[in-house]
Formats: sequence, C-alpha cells, structure tokens
Amino acid sequence: MSKDILIFVECKEGTVRKVSLELLTKGKEFTERFSSNLYAVLIGYQVKGIAEELKAFSDKVIVVDNEILKNYRWDTYAAVLEQLVKKYIPYMVFGASTITGKDLFPRLAARLNVAIVSDAVGIDFGGEGVRIKKPIFGGKIISWTACKEGSTSLITFRPNSFSIDKRSLNGELIEESLEIAKDPRLNVVNIERGGSKKVDIQEADFIICGGRGMKGPENFQVLEEIADIMGGRVGASRAVVDSKWREYDDQVGKSGKTVSPKLYIGCGVSGALHHTMGMDTSKVIVAVNKDPNAPIFQYADYGIVDDLFNILPILKDELKRAKEEV
Amino acid sequence: MNILVFIKQVADTEARIIIKGDQKSLEIENKYNINFFDEVAIEEAIRIKERIKDSQVTICTYGTKKAVEALRTAIAMGADRAFLLDNTNLENHDPLIIAKILSSFAKTEGFDLILCGRQAIDDENANIGAITAEFLGIPHVSAILKLEIMDEKKVRVESELEGGREVVEVQLPALLTTQKGLNEPRVPLITGVMKAMKAAIPSIDPCSLGIAKEDINTDASRVIVLSYEPPKKRPPVKIIEGETPEEKVKNLMKVLKEEAKAI
Repeated sequence: MSKDILIFVECKEGTVRKVSLELLTKGKEFTERFSSNLYAVLIGYQVKGIAEELKAFSDKVIVVDNEILKNYRWDTYAAVLEQLVKKYIPYMVFGASTITGKDLFPRLAARLNVAIVSDAVGIDFGGEGVRIKKPIFGGKIISWTACKEGSTSLITFRPNSFSIDKRSLNGELIEESLEIAKDPRLNVVNIERGGSKKVDIQEADFIICGGRGMKGPENFQVLEEIADIMGGRVGASRAVVDSKWREYDDQVGKSGKTVSPKLYIGCGVSGALHHTMGMDTSKVIVAVNKDPNAPIFQYADYGIVDDLFNILPILKDELKRAKEEV
Repeated sequence: MNILVFIKQVADTEARIIIKGDQKSLEIENKYNINFFDEVAIEEAIRIKERIKDSQVTICTYGTKKAVEALRTAIAMGADRAFLLDNTNLENHDPLIIAKILSSFAKTEGFDLILCGRQAIDDENANIGAITAEFLGIPHVSAILKLEIMDEKKVRVESELEGGREVVEVQLPALLTTQKGLNEPRVPLITGVMKAMKAAIPSIDPCSLGIAKEDINTDASRVIVLSYEPPKKRPPVKIIEGETPEEKVKNLMKVLKEEAKAI
C-alpha cells in the first residue's frame, strides 16, 4: 500500500478554509517523510480558481467540479470521495472535525468499510507506525490510538490543531469527472446563511467568551467590538445560552462547541466543567472575574480579579492600539 | 409511527477518571448518566408519540449490564420498551462494529424513524448515527434543531450549517441525530419511575442478531487504543496585579505580548 495522503478540502465563501490548510501542512510533513504524494481534493461547483490556491500546498490537486456539487450534501460528496479513495487508494484521508466533516466522514467510512478516528488533535509518525492523539472525556484523558494496517483510514482533526506552512509546490491539477446522483429521499428546501463574513468559531484564533457575569445580553456589545478588533469571535457559556442572551451556535463547552483558539479570554465565566471541557485546549487562556475563587482561574494562564465592566472598555482600547501598532 | 432511539450510558462529566497502571485501561468513578444528546433524542421520540396516535418508542443501547439503568430512565421518561445489547467480552473502540450491531438490531423490526444524539460526550466521536444509517441504507441528517412530521412518509428538519441553517425534507425511514436546542428533556415523574422499575428489559446477545462473533469481537476492531495519558497541566494561573483597572490591563497586555506571544 502506498503512503499517499488525501485531504478533503473545505471551502467557505470561495476560499479555502483555514483548517484545510492546516491539514495540508501536516499531510505534507507526512508525505515528505515517506516520499509519497499529497493529494488535495476539492469538490464543488466553479471552484477551479480555488484549485490554483491549493497547488502551492500539495503534490496533486484533484478537482471534481460539477453543478450538482454546489452545496455540500453527504450523498453526493460521499459518492465522490468513495470513487476517489477506490481509485487512488491512499494510506489515510484527512478531514476537519467540523459540521461538514462530522457528517461526511462516518458515512464514508461505512461505505468504504474502513477504520475511522474522529475529532483528533494530533498525529505522530516519528517512530514506528502512526499514532493518533485524541482527547476523550472532555479532555480529562488523552488517548493515543492506531488504525490496523491494510486499508485506508479516515481521520478528522479539530480546527487549530496544526500550524500552517505555505509551500510553493506547484502541484499538478487533475480534473476528475465522475458519475454522481443525488439521493431522491433527501430534498433540501432552504439554505440560510448568516451572510456573516466572520470566521467560524471553531477556526477562530481569538475568542472572547461571556458568562453569566456579563449580567445581560446588551452587555455583549463590547465583546463583539473586541472580537471584531481581533478578527475573532464571541463565545458564550451554557448559562448565557440557556438564558437566551446568545444563540446556541455561540456556545462553548460540552454541549456546545469545542474550541482551541490561540487566545481565549473568559469574562464573567465561572469555569464550570462543562465549559472548560470545550476550551481547555486553547493555547493561552485569560480569565477576568471579580471572584478570586472562581474555578476558571484553575484553567487560566493569566487572571484579572476585578469587575469586568471596569476592565473591558480599557481592554478594548488597549487591544485596538496594539493592533494599530502592528 | 414506530420509533427507535439509540442511547449510550456515559460517565458523568464530574466523574473521576483514573488511568490504570498499564496505561491502557481506565478506572471510572461510579457516576453514570444517559449521554446528554441522547436524552434529547428520547424526549423528541416521546413528544412524537404524544402527538401521533399508535406510535411506539423503543430504546436500545449497546453496553454493559450496568446500562440497564439508563434504559430504565428512558422508560421512566415515557418510552414503551427497551433492549440491552450486551457487550460483555465484546468491548470495542471501532464505531463500525458498534454500528453494525445497532443496525442489525434495527433490522429486526421495521422502524420508521431512528433517533440518536449527535455525539457521545465520552469519546466525542459523532460517528454512530451516520454509519448506522449507511448500514441500513437509509438517509440521515446530523445534529437537528427542529423536527416536523409531515406525514407517515416524510419529515422536515432544520439543522446547523457552517454559519447558517438548512431545512431538509427527508423520506422515512430515516435516521436523525439530535442536538441541544431541539427540546428540553423532561425529568421523569414518580409514576414513570415506578413503571420503569417493573419493566422487563430483555438482554440480547449481539451474536444472536445474525452477526458472526469474529466480526464483532475485540480482535475485529480496526481502531486500537495504544495508551492513555493525562493531559498536560497548565502552570498555576498568574494573577495580574495593579492598583487600578488601567494598570491591570496594561500589565496583562505586556505579558500577552512579551511572555505568551499571544498578541
């Protein structure tokens, strides 16, 4: 079996998602070590422009461009990937542990009858064999797993697990035209996009999260302003979402989203376990809380014990100034 | 409508978990619950039953004998019957094998609608729903936020997309995975608890479902756990000092820039 790697590339608003570039970077590291090929797989409609961008990151860029593939559906996308995996027989297929990846990869694994490891955060191939790193029990335990050799394995990784390293590989473009049919039992009635140009919360490098200490939905405005300055997103604790101050989509934690930004700032977040389980893989954690005994301080790198309403306006100005200096 | 709900009994988020000496097994404190997202699935099934006459809600889990507790809770909430697919000596980390067993159970009866949580909060895989649907040859929709039964043959569901929402009509039979926001799971009433205590919960040997033992035993797993380790601990928090809020923020900015290199 070859040691080739195939990366399922996700796009948003006509550009490659950051997480896919992370996967391409890690995939290249692997294929360099084993002198094998890195394939980027781009599926969609009128995506050839995006394919150009991918050339720099991969040895080969497989493009499947078809009107039927305009919007993601598991039936059409799994049909494409199934055919590609059977043709190219890669050692591993990488995808992102996103809404799309979580929907597509298990369906594909079942169809191909191959091993799947989901929601990983790392991979090690320096020694013998491949070891996949995956947090379980909300990050209380790290498990190292392996897939039996002999067939392709599918692995999805959380966004922000790897850094991006832009190469200039000038990969070869391969256009594949495949037989694809929609499953008639599934009829998409409506797709509504927020129209937001903001980065996806799971991919954000910066998250400022509000807890019950924010006192009300109107006070999240300053968090929005800070997130905009930093090009990041506002998160919310479960208590905040349950009180309907913020949408469920913004919830960080066990029953919401798992995030690992470069910088996380928790404001008035107590730090209950179900919240910290969703954010403790963040690189740097800052907590602002007036209660010095709040559990969040056990998870934070830096803490400010003060009234957040005194701190936030100043923090906003300081971050703005820091951004302008750069 | 004949509804099947797959659930999983998981360690409570507060449960203490210790890595054993061999670093290949875990000791979990005896605090278990129904996986949160599966509770949402049970609740939704019961709500459909309350709306549509002649509906039946069946609960099924693949787990240890202890998982009967979770099945009883589901009956206490209002489910009609429950089955344990006993995994004694068949423990396994391969979602394809677990889905194979669950789909074999589903095939024993014609279910119109299958529900399960979008993911288990212990392994966080989010695999079982879509894999089981593929094995059954039926469509699935992941992580639904709204469900409307249009008629006996069709449902309309809303689910989350990256940065948006999607509304899909799906022909039955279909499998839907549920997520927070779909409903608020009820707390069982005492009458329900009494009923659940008396309910007979059959235990089924997966091998009796027409699957060969060598296809589902521990050796058949394509996913192998090599070792467990504790997560890297963060150093103790550094509380940023300062006389005034201005000073605290300035000092924080300084460490974020110079020490953490986060800005």
